[in-house]
Amino acid sequence: MSIAVTYALLIIGALTIVLPLYMTAIIPFKTVAENTASYFALPSRFNLDNFRTVLAGGRFFRALANTAYITAFVLLGNAILMPMLSYPIARSMHQSPFYRFVYYFILISIFIPFQVKMMPLVKLLSSLRMMHPTGLSILYIASSIGESVFLYVGYMQSLPEELEAAAYIDGANTFQVYTRIVVPLVKPMMATALIRNGLWIWNDFLLPLIILNRSWTYWTLTLFQYNFRTEYSIDYSLTFAALVMSMIPIMLFYVFAQKHIVSGLTSGALKG
Amino acid sequence: MHHVLPISAQYSVLYTGMWVTSTIEVEMDSMAAGAKQRQFSFLGKKSKDRSKNITFALFVTPGLILYSIFLVLPVVMGVYYSVTDWNGISRRFNIVGIKNYRSIFRDSRFSNAVLFNLKYTVLLTVCVVVLGIALALLLNKRVKGITGFRAMYFFPAVLSALSVTLIFGQIFYRVLPQIGSKLNIGFLQKSLLSSKTTAPYGVLLVNVWQGVALPTILFLAGLQTIPDELYEAAEIDGANAWARFRHITLPFLVPIISIVLVLTAKSGLMVFEYVHSLTDGGPGGATESISLLIYRHAFVENKFAYSIAEAMVAGLIIAAISAIQISISNRMKVY
Repeated sequence: MSIAVTYALLIIGALTIVLPLYMTAIIPFKTVAENTASYFALPSRFNLDNFRTVLAGGRFFRALANTAYITAFVLLGNAILMPMLSYPIARSMHQSPFYRFVYYFILISIFIPFQVKMMPLVKLLSSLRMMHPTGLSILYIASSIGESVFLYVGYMQSLPEELEAAAYIDGANTFQVYTRIVVPLVKPMMATALIRNGLWIWNDFLLPLIILNRSWTYWTLTLFQYNFRTEYSIDYSLTFAALVMSMIPIMLFYVFAQKHIVSGLTSGALKG
Repeated sequence: MHHVLPISAQYSVLYTGMWVTSTIEVEMDSMAAGAKQRQFSFLGKKSKDRSKNITFALFVTPGLILYSIFLVLPVVMGVYYSVTDWNGISRRFNIVGIKNYRSIFRDSRFSNAVLFNLKYTVLLTVCVVVLGIALALLLNKRVKGITGFRAMYFFPAVLSALSVTLIFGQIFYRVLPQIGSKLNIGFLQKSLLSSKTTAPYGVLLVNVWQGVALPTILFLAGLQTIPDELYEAAEIDGANAWARFRHITLPFLVPIISIVLVLTAKSGLMVFEYVHSLTDGGPGGATESISLLIYRHAFVENKFAYSIAEAMVAGLIIAAISAIQISISNRMKVY
């Protein structure tokens, strides 16, 4: 392939990604009338009215705070609990039938589709009075157990046991061996697991929809977008202002951490 | 156990300390136990082992409790509700046995949804794998500015499916018809999503637009592990571009293809956001997926118990397909 053809193809591909985003970004600056004339023309003036309406009432910032809270809660819980759960399994499953059972029992959950648990989870969470962001966070942590254990156990088994043995000889107990030797070594896999979970939770819609949609004070960014669209379905300039606002945090994150996101996601998948 | 033997000789002197406490145990354990148990200890091996077992038990307890409450219990509850006639709201309900399951097999709406999901999943996986490999080959070219293009191509993966459907809903319903009427192109003047025959492809297009991004990056990472020398040697031997792709590139990508197949198939079989937000199952049920049908039965149409029975049947289908796929891809990995 000549360089010219390569560039032509690259640019065509880039346009299919950029054009929808460009259109999304300029729609909120224009009135509906202006948009109906042309979706791709630049706005005649820099009109921020739609963004003011979106930000009025504090719902947007509440949703942003809720999403950040849930994501942070889950990632912290995952970073602490998942390696802890995986380490005994990784080190004992070849000797202990109990841990072997635990491993396969947990792996089954990867194959159970979400729909099977969806309705009972709503009943369960409402009877446990957990229909709020913290309750949803705990549910997210639990839901990620299958995949996390799969990733961590595989990774831990590839780590040499000699370092741990040496620490035991120096008189360390199991907890110290875990925190000082094992945790630093699993950091690459932790990065992979946290990025995967972080993107999933930040962008998830179905679970917030069935657990948190009762009060706007519980809304996440996806619920905010969804409800905003339902409420102002006719004025799509306004809906798109809400959409653009909701996309800004993850876009900023992507611009600054793009390299780490990509390397984190690929390294985990290639090992797993 | 294989890694134990060479070092155990070095440390064998340490076992003498433990011999004092229990000779037989050491004899057995020096053969069987892992390197981690080799330690010098006045407490004796048994109590060390016990403290380790206790630590391990404490480590797994929180995870296992969460797992039991939020994964095992819902499945058990689901099995129970699926044999009742509960509408999800009333206080009282009856056990009706397998009645719900029997009605599922007479329900054309359910079989339509399963068919939709199967067709959709096949098309989605084919599109994602073929397009993903093609884009990865393109992004693997060493030309100026390629890292910028890579960053751009991956961007859809970090957006929420909901944002993407809002953008494309607008494009389908307003932007494309506008372009169509301006340029006088007949088929563009009506939304792709408003006709029964084209709506599934409209949803598929949006799903591929976003869903191909992560596989592309995975394929690209796979391509970068292929040594250049292989291509150079093949070129000297006179292999053409297709032969080089078929005999060098493809074998290297097989493990990644198998991962992508499993991930994409699962997302296709469980597709919810794209149909919920773009078409809400319409027009005329043409894009009603299993997930959407279950959601509507449970939350909109108050057929709670029935929806759970549907979920159980769908779950079995999806689990069976995943299991078959994984066993096939494990076999693929061998060569």
